[in-house]
Amino acid sequence: MSIEIKNISKQFGDFKALDNINLEVASGELLALLGPSGCGKTSLLRVIAGLETPDNGQILFHGEDTTDTHVRERQVGFVFQHYALFRHMTVFENVAFGLRVRPKKTRPSDAEIRKKVHRLLELVQLDWLADRFPAQLSGGQRQRIALARALAVEPRVLLLDEPFGALDTKVRKELRRWLRRLHDEIHVTSVFVTHDQEEALEVADRVVVMNKGQIEQIGTPSQVYDTPASPFVYQFLGDINLFHSRVHDGWAEVAGARIAATDSPDAAKATIYVRPHEIDLSRVASEAAIAGKITHVRLLGSTVRLEVDVADHDAVEVELTRERYAEGEWKVGEAVWLNPRDAKVYTGL
Amino acid sequence: MAFKKHSVLPGFNLALGYTLLYLSIIVLLPLSALVLKSTGLTAEAFWHAVSEPRVVASYKVTFGASLIAATINLITGLLISWVLVRYSFPGKRFIDALVDLPFALPTAVAGIALATIYAPNGSIGQWFEPLGIKVAFSPIGIVLALTFITLPFVVRTVQPVLQDLEPELEEAASSLGATRLQIFWKVILPTLLPALLTGFALAFARAIGEYGSVIFIAGNMPYVSEITPLMIISKLEQYDYLGATAIAVVMLVVSFTLLLLINGLQWWSAKRMGRR
Repeated sequence: MSIEIKNISKQFGDFKALDNINLEVASGELLALLGPSGCGKTSLLRVIAGLETPDNGQILFHGEDTTDTHVRERQVGFVFQHYALFRHMTVFENVAFGLRVRPKKTRPSDAEIRKKVHRLLELVQLDWLADRFPAQLSGGQRQRIALARALAVEPRVLLLDEPFGALDTKVRKELRRWLRRLHDEIHVTSVFVTHDQEEALEVADRVVVMNKGQIEQIGTPSQVYDTPASPFVYQFLGDINLFHSRVHDGWAEVAGARIAATDSPDAAKATIYVRPHEIDLSRVASEAAIAGKITHVRLLGSTVRLEVDVADHDAVEVELTRERYAEGEWKVGEAVWLNPRDAKVYTGL
Repeated sequence: MAFKKHSVLPGFNLALGYTLLYLSIIVLLPLSALVLKSTGLTAEAFWHAVSEPRVVASYKVTFGASLIAATINLITGLLISWVLVRYSFPGKRFIDALVDLPFALPTAVAGIALATIYAPNGSIGQWFEPLGIKVAFSPIGIVLALTFITLPFVVRTVQPVLQDLEPELEEAASSLGATRLQIFWKVILPTLLPALLTGFALAFARAIGEYGSVIFIAGNMPYVSEITPLMIISKLEQYDYLGATAIAVVMLVVSFTLLLLINGLQWWSAKRMGRR
């Protein structure tokens, strides 16, 4: 079931939550809406679900206009950040809810409901918890039950609002891999909202990066990471170092080093972004190297993060693998040269 | 002590000790004095005092009217708290404050006011008179007075729970295809049930003990509209202290049993859902 979002706008008072959004979700795709809080990603998801009505625009499910269809008839599965399980029902009854509330004519028999619920609980690998109450489950288990409940009504699309947001890091990682495998198994068109770029890049087929109610970029995880369309996308998808400079003859100068800025107009203000792990350290000066001095060294598990002071600029962060750090025998207070392997130059900001 | 759990807040012994002492002095001591006093009667005399036909009729009136009043407030209390939580309208705060008024008003004032309005020639009572319905000076009047007195209980117990009810629950139910009515019956009402039960129990308990407002509107006809507290007072007026005590003990036992039952029910449901 494909989803088409056409010119959707939504305003809350003076706040423009969604500003003319156009987006297509292909059938069977797992799409991530990624952005900082307040960027409109949750509003967009709720508009798709029918929990929020847009001020303008249309939502089409498989070419059919559903903009004015009530959430009850829209056949969407919605998974909430805080699970929203029914506390007074057992796990079994929670999953069975969507089947039991059907009108008599279309309601399956008790035996069919039982069979279906157990099949779904097996799918989320929690069949053994059928008689428990939500209060007796862990967060990860609750979210899997919430997912089973949403799938019970055989939704045309599955919508997940920060599904792993309330879980701790380890469970979150486990669960998102599990969600990816589950999606490969059942292939229901899914949209999930997250503010965690790692989660979006790992799980989604395509990522939509949003900011201030607008879409900044749509693309596969490698597209958005490798060729960010805007400085916002670049800085949102990972750590960055930022330099301000001006372009001269196709070169931008940063603390004595020259960085290629072809296609940029002369004398334009340039902002240069470099990721910490895309900088090499050297003790030998070269034309493209920036001079600096190591001020801090922090060990972060598999990587080492060094802080380097550069004249006239903010301190630069450099990330090295453990081995590279050991090979170089870098020390605090040492003068070094920074060689950016890859730098993005944005002008006209 | 085995049941003492380690806690960052000190003072478990002090707090528990104070609680027990306080409850003993304020609640347990007077009540046990009451029970003790009733042992001055022989079993036969006790039974005679509490099973007099006129007294038995008063039990029926008191417990019956209290049950009806608490049930009425269970439903209207839910409605009022729903309106106060879910809707916003001008004068909402005023109405919210109005709910507590029955607590503040002297109960006798409430009784007299109600009796005046609902009397056969009163401003509302005159409309019921031609229909052959006598509101004041009949058991209906008792129910009315008790409903007035116990109005705040259900509202004030349900309101905070309703306020904390996550909108996501209703959204989830809606996305699963439930109608508004199904959402109310299957999702909202069961969640509110513990609070509703508490409010009901409080209202019921309060109604059983109510005296001031009822005597003005009840008419106090023997076998018809005499409440048990009135029987106790009239015994006292005849210097039959032991007889009054015996009736009081019966009320105490019945009320306590009912409250225990309701609390037990709540405890059981909370335990079943794994919250205890």
